[in-house]
Amino acid sequence: MLDTQDHLIVSNLNVSRGEARVLFDIQLHLAPNEIVACVGRNGAGKSTLLKSISGFLPADSGEVKSHGQVLTGLRPYEIARLGVKYVPQDKRVFSDLTVRENLELGSYASGDYNWDPVITYFPKLQILMDRKAGHLSGGERQMLMIGRAILGQPKVLLIDEPTEGLAPSIVTHLKYVFTELSKSASVLIVEQNLPLVCAISKRVYALKEGRFVAELKDDQIRTDVCEHYL
Amino acid sequence: MLNSLHWWRGILITFTALWLAKFVLPLPFMNEVLVFSIYTIGCNFLLGRVGFISFGQPAYLAVGAYATAFYLFYFGTNPYIGLLIGLVAGLVFAFIVGLLFVRLRSDYFALVNLALSVIVFYMLQKVLADITKGDNGLWFLTNIDATPVFNLTKPSEFFLFCIFVGAAVWALYKYLDDTVFGACCLATKINETKLEFIGYDNFKIRLTAFVIANTTTAFAGSLYAIYLGFVSPEMTGHSRTADPVVVTILGGVGSLWGPIVGTLAYTGLRDVASKFIGNWELIVGFILVFIMMTNSVGLYGTLENWSKSLWRRVSGQKGTA
Repeated sequence: MLDTQDHLIVSNLNVSRGEARVLFDIQLHLAPNEIVACVGRNGAGKSTLLKSISGFLPADSGEVKSHGQVLTGLRPYEIARLGVKYVPQDKRVFSDLTVRENLELGSYASGDYNWDPVITYFPKLQILMDRKAGHLSGGERQMLMIGRAILGQPKVLLIDEPTEGLAPSIVTHLKYVFTELSKSASVLIVEQNLPLVCAISKRVYALKEGRFVAELKDDQIRTDVCEHYL
Repeated sequence: MLNSLHWWRGILITFTALWLAKFVLPLPFMNEVLVFSIYTIGCNFLLGRVGFISFGQPAYLAVGAYATAFYLFYFGTNPYIGLLIGLVAGLVFAFIVGLLFVRLRSDYFALVNLALSVIVFYMLQKVLADITKGDNGLWFLTNIDATPVFNLTKPSEFFLFCIFVGAAVWALYKYLDDTVFGACCLATKINETKLEFIGYDNFKIRLTAFVIANTTTAFAGSLYAIYLGFVSPEMTGHSRTADPVVVTILGGVGSLWGPIVGTLAYTGLRDVASKFIGNWELIVGFILVFIMMTNSVGLYGTLENWSKSLWRRVSGQKGTA
């Protein structure tokens, strides 16, 4: 059920890559302080969905709204400035810049120079400040990308496969971080790590061949149920 | 990067060394090195920081030079006003051109700038020949007034002026390198898409960098015009289009000191080679190919590595090669 208070509302979104239609009539909403996951096989269109919401892929039709503001047609940087931040899957940070400079970029763009939340969530970044981001491990890069995204206190976080290839201890830590982040923002997470999805999500959308085929809630959010959609 | 403490030390040492070099090297050579270094630093910034390779730098150089020359040939005699006019003309030209060009990347950007250089050349040589005097150029050396503080009509005082101006230009670029804007420029070079989702408009960053770099280039053109008292379309000729790119790569792309080292090497090589052979470009070309193929970090990078290695040996530290 859509609610005017929802932080993110996606209505009838259709997206193509070249000649091929990838997303079909996507309907999605994100309530305040809610963590919602999107699961599906490789190629189902999960990343395309996040890229389209964040403005990197234009929609063929449909609408994306956040706090009453229509995001469809806006440039990615305009959407980011409206508080909808995208953390991509590939963990490619600005490798020639240090951790500090990467954070400075986030601060300057958002006008938020308070790094305390970032350091609270990811204390390790404090000792890596002067290291080139290209020399960080995958987990450290993910911390940096999420840390940079939460500067400016975003209203919506779109996070693409954050735990892919990471050590279990880091995944456990990210689980805690996402839960904490949801106290101040809504989180839409695309993830194949079902234990994580089931542990933190209030709702789960199952995506198959570009269409939402199920919306799981409450006790439906179990790994054995989610596995059907992978 | 935000190591603001003692950031001026390198500039002070470098420009003091350049000033001292005047006592062992010919003054015209040193003037050429200083002006050419200022000419090249814009190209170095574009290539090293923003990832733009431009074969159209002579066009921006010519805009500054001709703006100054028009003033000194037709209207006035004060070289400082000439410099200011060149600077403003470069700023306006770079802004207008930048609005169109910075949307392009890589090879398209390089080629469209090359085309601009050709257009400017023919504009100066043919289309505007009535006011540019075509291939004959504009000669206004005797029009320039002697000015207080630095008398720019005297090569020795022009040299001192360039030392101060050069130090100011380097301070500007050092500042740009050390600010968030510098980081943004590097980020747009590394991954423009990712910069957008942080909330930056790539176009504005590139346009700003483009305008700063090419206004500097135009300013170098104004300095050339005042130093030589003469301008001609030859400065944008096809044989000159690659000069700043070659010097940038030779010195070390993206390094603040690369343009000075590259200019010293290139200008020195050219002067020495031209004494032995008429077609000096041939020798210089072979030497440049050799240096570039054996050296990916440029001359400044090599010197830096050698000095670090030497320092480790002197201080008795164990280091990696």
